[in-house]
Amino acid sequence: MAKQTFTTGQVLTAAQMTSLQQTAMLGGAASAKTASYTLVAADAGTAISMSNASATTITVNTALFAAGDTVQITNLGAGVCTITAGTATVNTSASLALAQYESGTLKFTSTSAAIFIKGAGAAPASGGMTLISTTAFTGSTVTISSIPNTYKNLLLITKGTYGSTNVDESLRFNADSGNNYAYHNCNVNTSSVSGGGASAQPEIGIGQRTALTGTQELGYSVINIYRYTDTGGVQMTMAKYSATSGSQLLFFTTNAVYYGASAISSISFLGTGGTYSGGNAYLYGVN
Amino acid sequence: MTKPMIRIHNAETNEVIDREMTNSEFAQYQKDQTAQAVKQAEAEAKETAKAALLDRLGLTAEEAALLLS
Repeated sequence: MAKQTFTTGQVLTAAQMTSLQQTAMLGGAASAKTASYTLVAADAGTAISMSNASATTITVNTALFAAGDTVQITNLGAGVCTITAGTATVNTSASLALAQYESGTLKFTSTSAAIFIKGAGAAPASGGMTLISTTAFTGSTVTISSIPNTYKNLLLITKGTYGSTNVDESLRFNADSGNNYAYHNCNVNTSSVSGGGASAQPEIGIGQRTALTGTQELGYSVINIYRYTDTGGVQMTMAKYSATSGSQLLFFTTNAVYYGASAISSISFLGTGGTYSGGNAYLYGVN
Repeated sequence: MTKPMIRIHNAETNEVIDREMTNSEFAQYQKDQTAQAVKQAEAEAKETAKAALLDRLGLTAEEAALLLS
């Protein structure tokens, strides 16, 4: 039952008393949501469940709740549900992200601030990975934006990528085109090994985006970005397999450092021409 | 003039936007392409010079690699 203001002489029905009892015993039916949702005043004292296969948010705004109000939030869906501070402040000692079947309680300490008390869920407090997003490649560049800063490291896996033509491919963080990247590559193909590197670059070269003339031309990569919320130097390692037309197989390994002024919140895949024709990027948060 | 398309996937809201590049994005895209073309030209010039040197020395690339190994 939502928070009520009872009046003298008010008669409660049996259904209302049952609902009130369930709420008092931390039970009761949850208000089911299937898309990102912004809390309203009537949610005080209620339970909310989210169910969506993709990532969703529960936004918390100010001037809707009183100190002491609570809202219980449970994520039933496969997509991560993230408690997001809108105009209100939300603090937590854990993560604001709820993986599937995780639950937590928002407890308001004032009209403009709440603490999110996350219950023990299926995901461990440390260790483990959470799928943040799945992005299909298309267009000239692809950017994954608004990456949550609630994890320790990022793991980015690309699978089955290819393009309209063979072009050099690179990565850029936070749309930062300043000379803030240093990297070196080792490239192995069917007949030779080569390598190179440079500092003060405007991007990180990660090899080739190849055109599809057979299944062997698809690109696969594993990219680790360590301590991505640090500033002043974030390390990245990558191993990538792809191929050029004519079935010349290519394997790239890359080590890089990004000297950013802020935490990494977006990652862009760039090409020197052509467009992406297929493939997916899977971004995981790692604790 | 039609500008290249860009995809932006918001990891927080799961919103996906496909749109043309803005003027500033397109300017950066062209700048990147120009820089890459310069790098490519430098690499090709280096390869040509290397091939010419090997030719003058009468060595194949494999023989030169063997000497340097």
